[in-house]
Amino acid sequence: MNKLALIIEDDEDLANIFAEALHGIGLEVENLTDGESARQRLAGGEVPFVILLDMHLPLVSGKDLLQEIKNDPRFSNTWLMITTADARLAEDFRDQVDFALIKPILFGQLRDLVKRLKPKDEI
Amino acid sequence: MSNILQRFLTISTTDPDDLRKRKILNVLLAGTGGLSVLGAITGALLIITSRQRTAENLLILWGSIITIIGVLVIYVINTRRSGKAASSLFLIFMTLIFTFSDSAEQVSGGRSLFYFAIPVFMASILLTPASSFVFAALSSVIIAVIGLSIDFAPNTPAMIGFFLLAFVFWLSARSLEQALGELRAININLDRVVTERTQALAESFSRERIEAGRSQAILNSIADGVIVFDKKWTATQANPALKAILEIPLEIIVNKDFRELIEHPRLSTKSRPLLYAMMNHGTQPIGFRIDWGEKTLSVGAASVYDNQSQNIGTVIVFRDFTREAEVERMKSTFVGIVSHELRTPLNAILGYSEMFKESVYGPMNEKQTNMADRIMKNTQRLLGLINDLLDQAQMEAGKMTIRTEAVRLSDLLEALHGLMDKSASDKGLRLTSEIDPLLPDALIGDPARLQQILVNLVTNAIKFTDQGGVHIQFFRRNAETWGIEVSDMGQGIPESQLAFIFDTFRQVEGTDTRSHGGFGLGLSIVKQLVGLMNGQIKLKSELNIGSTFTITLPLIVPDGESVLKE
Repeated sequence: MNKLALIIEDDEDLANIFAEALHGIGLEVENLTDGESARQRLAGGEVPFVILLDMHLPLVSGKDLLQEIKNDPRFSNTWLMITTADARLAEDFRDQVDFALIKPILFGQLRDLVKRLKPKDEI
Repeated sequence: MSNILQRFLTISTTDPDDLRKRKILNVLLAGTGGLSVLGAITGALLIITSRQRTAENLLILWGSIITIIGVLVIYVINTRRSGKAASSLFLIFMTLIFTFSDSAEQVSGGRSLFYFAIPVFMASILLTPASSFVFAALSSVIIAVIGLSIDFAPNTPAMIGFFLLAFVFWLSARSLEQALGELRAININLDRVVTERTQALAESFSRERIEAGRSQAILNSIADGVIVFDKKWTATQANPALKAILEIPLEIIVNKDFRELIEHPRLSTKSRPLLYAMMNHGTQPIGFRIDWGEKTLSVGAASVYDNQSQNIGTVIVFRDFTREAEVERMKSTFVGIVSHELRTPLNAILGYSEMFKESVYGPMNEKQTNMADRIMKNTQRLLGLINDLLDQAQMEAGKMTIRTEAVRLSDLLEALHGLMDKSASDKGLRLTSEIDPLLPDALIGDPARLQQILVNLVTNAIKFTDQGGVHIQFFRRNAETWGIEVSDMGQGIPESQLAFIFDTFRQVEGTDTRSHGGFGLGLSIVKQLVGLMNGQIKLKSELNIGSTFTITLPLIVPDGESVLKE
C-alpha cells in the first residue's frame, strides 16, 4: 500500500514542489489549497501518513485546522508538520507538532526528512 | 488754627532731641509772649483809666513790652539758629525779669523767691539735665547779691533749696532723657526690622509671581497634555494642550478627582486598570499607553516633592501617540508581509532550481546543472539579506526573543561546518574549530540564535580573508562565563573603524560594499543578539594580520549536567 501525504498549501508553486519531493520518495500526494476544503477532506477519507500544513491559509486558518487535527484521534499516528515563513510562529507551535518547518523549505530537505520517517505505530 | 500753630511751632532740624526741646521753648515763648501782651494791655489800661503814671504801672507796661521784644528775638534765634542759644538766652532773660520784677526784699527772701525755681527746672528740660545746677548757682548768686545790697544776710536755706531742686530736676530730666533715648533706639531698630521684613516679603511675593508665571507659560506652551494633582489625586491644574488631546473641556478635569477621568467613557476599559495601578502604587511605571477614543496616548508620571522631600502630588503627562502607534503597527504588518510574501516566491525559485539540479524532470547537462546551482546560490543570498533585514526590524521593534534550552556545543559546531565548510574551501581557506575540554557537553542557550551568530561571524571572516584560515573556539573563562572566539587571517580592520564596526548598515570604509556584498547588518545583528543573551562582544584587529571576535556569555548548565567536565 502506498503511503498518503496531505499537502495543505495555498501557494501553487510550493504545493507543486512539495508534491514532487514527496512523490519522488514514493508517496501518494493529495493537495488542498484552502482551509475549508482541507477541513472537509479531514472529516473523512483515508488517514494520511503525513500532513504538511501551511499556517497561512484562506478561509480557515492553519491554527484552527491544527487544533482540529490534534483533537481527532484518527490522526494520532500521522506525522504532523507545519510550514510557515514566520520564525516566531514556528517557535510558538514547535512543541505541538512533530516538525515546524520555516520557509524557505528546500526540495531536498523535505524529501530527505520524510524519507526517514517510519510509521508512528512501528516506533 | 492748629495749622497755624503747627507752622509756628515747626523747626527744621534732624535731631529729635533738639526738635523736642526747641518745640517746648516755642510753646513757652508763646505762653510768655501771650502773658506779656496781656501785661502790656493791662499796664496801658491802668495808666489810661487811673491817669496816674505810677512807677508800678509803668514797670508793668515797660516790663511787658521788653518781654515781648525779648520773646520775639529768642523765637527768631530758636527757629532760625540754635535751640541751645535761644534756651540759654530765654532762661537768663526769665531770671533777670524775676530779679527785677519785685522789691529787693521780696526777691532775696520773700514771695518772689520761688520764681527762681522756674528757670532751674526749665534748664533741665530745655538745655541739659546738669544745667539746672548752673541756674541754681546763678539764682543763688542773684539773691545773695540782692540781699547784700540791702544788708540782708545771704538766704542760705533758699540757696540750698535751689541746689536740692536742681538735683531733683537733674535726676528726673536725666532719667527721662535716658528713657527717651532707649525708646528711640528701640523704635529705630523696630523700623529697620519692619523695613527689612517688608522688603523680603515683597521680594518673595514677586519671585513667587514670576515663578508661577513662568510655570504657567511653560505649561501653556508645551504640546503634551499635563495635569497636576495634589496628594489626594485632585487635579489642581491642566494645560490647554490637554484639552486639545482629550477633546473634553478642562472644567471636567480641574478640581475633580482623578477617578472621574479614569471612568470617562472615552477611556477604553482595558486602559483603566493601568491608570488605577499608577494611582495606587507608589512606584510609577516609566511610561505606558492608553486608548482614549480613537487615539493612543502615552502616559508618563512624576511625583512632586517639597523641599522637605515630602510627596505633595503628581504630575501626569499625556502625549498623543496615535501616529507613532500607527507607524509601529504598519511596521509590524510590513515585516509580516515581507516575511511571508517575499519568502514564498523565493522558496518557489529555490525549489524549482533544486528540482532542475536534482534532474527531477529528466537528465540535465553539466552547464544546466551549474546554472541551476547558481540560481539557488543567488536566491539563498537574497534570502539571507531578507532575513537580516527582518531580524533587524524585529530587534528594533523589541520583538526578538531568546529561547532557553539545552544546546550541545558539538552539534553547534557540526552544523556550522556543514553550512560553512564549502564556502571556506571554495576560497582555499581552512575552517578549524575546537571545544575547551573544561566546558560541559551541553549548556543553556538559544541554538538557532547561537548558530546565527556563528554563521554571521564566520561568513564575515571568510569574506575578508584571502589566505590561511578561520578558527573557531569555544572556551570556558570561569565558573560563570563561557565564550566563542572567531579569528581570521584577513586584512584586519583599521583602528579608526573599530568603534563603528557594530553599527547598522556599516561596512569598513575603503572596502567596496558591492565587491563584498551585504548590507553591513551582520555584525550589528550579532552584537544585538549577544546583548539579548546578556553577553558581551569584543574585537581585536591588526591590519594585514587578522581580526578576532570574542563573545562572552553567561554559563548556565542544564539540570543533570555537571558544570565541570574533568
